Amino acid sequence: MKKIGFILLLVLTVLSGCKKDEPVKYGLKSTDILTPSVNKDKQKTPAQYIAVLYVNLFQQAISTADQVEIERLLRSIGDKRLAYELIISSYMNDPQVILPAYTDMRADLDQFIMDTYERFYVRPPTQLEQEYMKNYLENNIDITPELVYFAFAISDESFFY
Amino acid sequence: MKRREFIKKVTAATLASAVSPYLLKGAPLPQSGGGPHIVFVAFAGGVRQQESVLQRYLTDSQGLVGSAYEGNIMYNMLNGGSPTDKIVYGIDPASGLAGSQPIPTILSQSLQSQGTLFKEVKAAGVGHYSGLVSLMTGSKFVNQGLRQRPAMPTIFEYARKFMNLKATETWFIGNGIGNSTPLLNHSNHPDFGVDFGANFLSPSVTFGAEGDEHIQYAKVYHPDEELGKIYEMQNFLNNAYNTESDDFGGIENTIEEKHDIKQFIRETFFKKNAGAIAHPPVSDNNDLQTVGYTCEVLKWFKPKITVVNMNAVDQGHDNFSSYLKNLHRADHAVGHLWNYIQTQIPEMAGNTYLIACPEHGRNLDPNSILDQNDWLAYDHSDLNSTRIFSLIAGPGVDANLSVGSESNPIGDISDCVLTMAEILGIKSQVQGEGLVSSDAVSFFDRI
Repeated sequence: MKKIGFILLLVLTVLSGCKKDEPVKYGLKSTDILTPSVNKDKQKTPAQYIAVLYVNLFQQAISTADQVEIERLLRSIGDKRLAYELIISSYMNDPQVILPAYTDMRADLDQFIMDTYERFYVRPPTQLEQEYMKNYLENNIDITPELVYFAFAISDESFFY
Repeated sequence: MKRREFIKKVTAATLASAVSPYLLKGAPLPQSGGGPHIVFVAFAGGVRQQESVLQRYLTDSQGLVGSAYEGNIMYNMLNGGSPTDKIVYGIDPASGLAGSQPIPTILSQSLQSQGTLFKEVKAAGVGHYSGLVSLMTGSKFVNQGLRQRPAMPTIFEYARKFMNLKATETWFIGNGIGNSTPLLNHSNHPDFGVDFGANFLSPSVTFGAEGDEHIQYAKVYHPDEELGKIYEMQNFLNNAYNTESDDFGGIENTIEEKHDIKQFIRETFFKKNAGAIAHPPVSDNNDLQTVGYTCEVLKWFKPKITVVNMNAVDQGHDNFSSYLKNLHRADHAVGHLWNYIQTQIPEMAGNTYLIACPEHGRNLDPNSILDQNDWLAYDHSDLNSTRIFSLIAGPGVDANLSVGSESNPIGDISDCVLTMAEILGIKSQVQGEGLVSSDAVSFFDRI
């Protein structure tokens, strides 16, 4: 009888003493400590870059024939950045290119910036990037979506994945 | 001419051109019109001594005997009368045999009579790319293969580093994009390399079907109102990303230079569509058209150093008649180039040096391939393929001088770089780097 009482006392003690602590919450959001682009360290091949660029600007895949021609074109010009700029600016003259309207961009700059980062970099902008771009676009009302897309397309991050 | 006299003349030409007024076109860049300028012709895909300098036409190749089958088919470059029988290298007449009408000469005086011909020069090897590397670097260290840049600095890199030249002052105009030709505009040497590379252009592609389709209608943005903003945003984005890559974008031009090149490309497409490219009178092969576009580059940029590569002669592997045709046309191209510089580019007339040198020769004995005339073709793999020549013309260069002979070879393929360096006044600096072949000297030092 004494033994049973001891066991019951032990069970009751364990059950009452093993309550899980509630986690303490301080209202902080979890966030990455590295920039979202830090893992992009592989350079795209010209073919990869052009394929992605084409999709970004025309929202369809580039044809194989066009891809081959563009790769040859890139090899025919020594300054590759210049060659890319020529190709991009030629795309911008193409009636099929799909760009946001100027008014839509101005109506919601935050969303435009978010969408542009996602489109070209496949990531959201950091707070710093969001603020800088917003300020820059607000202070330069003559900047069109075309110029923004151009800048993103020729920026370093667009050449890496 | 004594060396001292040559140097005096070069210096005088340099000073004269520096003080002469130069024309400004609409571009924002100040144009570098001051001499000396160098146009180097990589001539032209494996040229056999027998059909070029030795002027043997069909005698030393197809076993045809008699003076009618001997003669000079490069009369813009070399002195000497043409063959009189079995003419196949010309253009097709309205009636008569194909190729039987030689292309009329362009120069009233051959380049040989205006300059100095080194008749028997030694090439380093028998491959196109290794030969071109030696021409560009002055080094015979060419153990790297295709798809690799030269290991030693090119003349462009020496010139840009020691003369502080802009990228647009040095150009390599390629006959195409095959055979690693686009890699010849700079080496991968750690002390030189891409930062001192030349602009490269392959007109048959840039202005060919590919260019027509993909860059002909490229916008030229306003340099301040549009491009300035684009580059500002790009700078911010790049700073945020902050990456380094060895060969990320090829050579780099400044923003102003890039704008200038874009304008040049746009203008050249206009000219092409108007049929106004400065092509030679006959322009029925790729080499001739490449030289036409080279003239446009010279006229627009007035580069300090321009190298143009031709290689249509390489059809000699399987068609001897085509080889002769293309050799004749390569001479036509050089004649046109020289004439265009002297008559159409005032900033370069009288202060430009032209150097032509094959990358290698061709075999003594033929292979077994017969062409439409039952003539045998020639590859390039034996000792005869290491026999080449070099021709130099320009202010201060001895006129009508021949140096060396079949029995007395004088000169080496690696001499070309030091010759150009001497003209530019940087020879001692180039030698000081110790990266050219140990037996290389300036051709002027061999006179």
